[in-house]
Amino acid sequence: MNPSDIFSLAYDALVDRKVRTILTVLMVVLGASLVVVINGLSAGQSAFLQKQLSSLASNVIYASSGQRSYYGGESSQASLIVNDVIANKIRTLPYVTDVVPQYSGSVTIDSYGNVQHVSVVGMDPTKLTVMLPNLVFVDGSTLAPNDRSAAVVGDTIANPPGSTTPFVIVGQTLKITYSYSDSTGKQQQEVRNFLVTAIMKPSGNTRIDNALVINSDAANQLLRKSGRYDSLVIQTTDDTYVNTVQQEITGIYGKNIGITIPQAFLQVRQQTAQGNAMFVEMIGFIALVVGAVGIVTTLYNSVTERIREIGTMKAIGAQNSSILALFLVEAALIGVMGATLGLAIGVVGGYAMTSFPSHTAGGPGGFGPGGGSISSFPPIFLPEDLIKVWLLSVSLAVGAGIFPAWKASKLSPMVALRRE
Amino acid sequence: MVNEPKPDEVNSNSTALTVKNLSKIYDSAAGKVVALDNINFAVKKGEFVSIVGPSGSGKSTLLNMIGALDRPTSGNVYINDVDIFSLNDSDIATMRNNLIGFIFQSFNLINRTTVLKNVKLPGTISGMSASEANERAMRILEALGIADKATQKPVNLSGGQQQRVAIARSLVNNPAIVLADEPTGNLDTKTGEDVFDMLKTLSHKFKRTIIMVTHNPELAESTDRSILIRDGRIDKDVIN
Repeated sequence: MNPSDIFSLAYDALVDRKVRTILTVLMVVLGASLVVVINGLSAGQSAFLQKQLSSLASNVIYASSGQRSYYGGESSQASLIVNDVIANKIRTLPYVTDVVPQYSGSVTIDSYGNVQHVSVVGMDPTKLTVMLPNLVFVDGSTLAPNDRSAAVVGDTIANPPGSTTPFVIVGQTLKITYSYSDSTGKQQQEVRNFLVTAIMKPSGNTRIDNALVINSDAANQLLRKSGRYDSLVIQTTDDTYVNTVQQEITGIYGKNIGITIPQAFLQVRQQTAQGNAMFVEMIGFIALVVGAVGIVTTLYNSVTERIREIGTMKAIGAQNSSILALFLVEAALIGVMGATLGLAIGVVGGYAMTSFPSHTAGGPGGFGPGGGSISSFPPIFLPEDLIKVWLLSVSLAVGAGIFPAWKASKLSPMVALRRE
Repeated sequence: MVNEPKPDEVNSNSTALTVKNLSKIYDSAAGKVVALDNINFAVKKGEFVSIVGPSGSGKSTLLNMIGALDRPTSGNVYINDVDIFSLNDSDIATMRNNLIGFIFQSFNLINRTTVLKNVKLPGTISGMSASEANERAMRILEALGIADKATQKPVNLSGGQQQRVAIARSLVNNPAIVLADEPTGNLDTKTGEDVFDMLKTLSHKFKRTIIMVTHNPELAESTDRSILIRDGRIDKDVIN
């Protein structure tokens, strides 16, 4: 039989059992799309974390009140007030070259009636490069560390994604509103105007790009911090002293101070993400195997139902190899349809899942190395990954078809013709 | 009358089929069952032979052996001088495709596809080009008076029409013999007679060799020759 005739007969057989075929294809679609989404999100997350990792200085430690592991879990209550006394004490430690205190909070900013909710950090803006050595600003930017009404704006705030016009430009005034509850529990607001003196270019660090930096004293007043810093950014001589300094600080303050090493944090996060991705990918693979079992069931039923047809075909001269090929082509068609649809749905689903806006909690000190929510990192669908998933799905489908096809091909025509 | 083939008949150009010393013994829980016991006969080209006998006599087993759907315990079957059981399974399949046309009691058509595709299926299996298979199939459908049903599905046809489709399918590869297993068994009397007349026309007008298993003695008497099988043996071989 010609391959085109086998294809035509196989296609007719699948069309004849539409509902069953569709359900079987759906099983493959589910498995393939799940694996594609997971691969895409995993690759996106990995690239995101890698970008974060490369954007952060390697010789920096974050210290904050309360116990915190190096990857960031915070204790329920702060047992140490981080203030200038602590900052000055840490400055005197060996291998510490700088300590940058930070206030942080969430505010609403208003530009000509357009409103955004953003993270605000109070610090010396000239020290931003301590954390992000490669940070650059747009033309016309000026850093005014002593100006209590100056604001430095992150790229994502200045140029919101999807907007054709900038939210703010250098030289424009921003109204910043801080909402808080007073001692009686009554909701209060603190409103101040700031002049945008600088806008950061995309840094590769989503926290920086989503943040507003203002003068430390202005933040202390606006955010009603009373001199209590949220974190200290501690710069060491180089990255080989990070652990030494961390041990030194822990030796002095014990569990009352939380230490975060961004590089270590991100590396652990990356390893965790990879572990999670492998786990979920296994679930996707299991879904594909379930789909394959579905194909076995479908084709096995099909062989049973079409046993007289198989007998007739053999009686009129069909070779065993033609019957084998017929059922394998049916399995392959199910696999190809399922894998192709699964890939398409997986890619669309991956982008859909990451298109929903979500607020990301700040890391320590506002500029800490937070992990990022699912929407922080767009999925990355590598062609080689998609090809692998497609081939895996089709191979599993064809593999699942081997047993029923073999069974059909080995049927004795006489036995098959006698079967009701 | 047992029609013992003479040695020269095996290779005779006028002989379509020769059955020689054919036996089939089945092993069952109850012991050995002799389904066919030393069957010998020959069928001339263009002859219309009926095989008759009571249920369980072995007539269907004999037809299955002639059609190479099953292998005998001993003996030979020659179709167009080809010793069909000397062939391997793959060659037997090719031989069935080229030399034998099958007509089944319950038509055995593929109902999900069209009449035309059913009829040209043996051609498709033999690797015939689509255009040639189409042309042959349509020519036969026209000859059998059902060309207008070519694009319909068999389930939408009457029993008689479906059996005509099955007859058309059996002829598409121009086989040496046509084997019909109770071709009128699923049809009412009138339709059965029509189908039988069609087979008779094929034999007499188009010189097709037909071997038909039937329960119907009247139809058997209307064929050129009747072979009565009883207990796995040829009881009578009668020229009608």
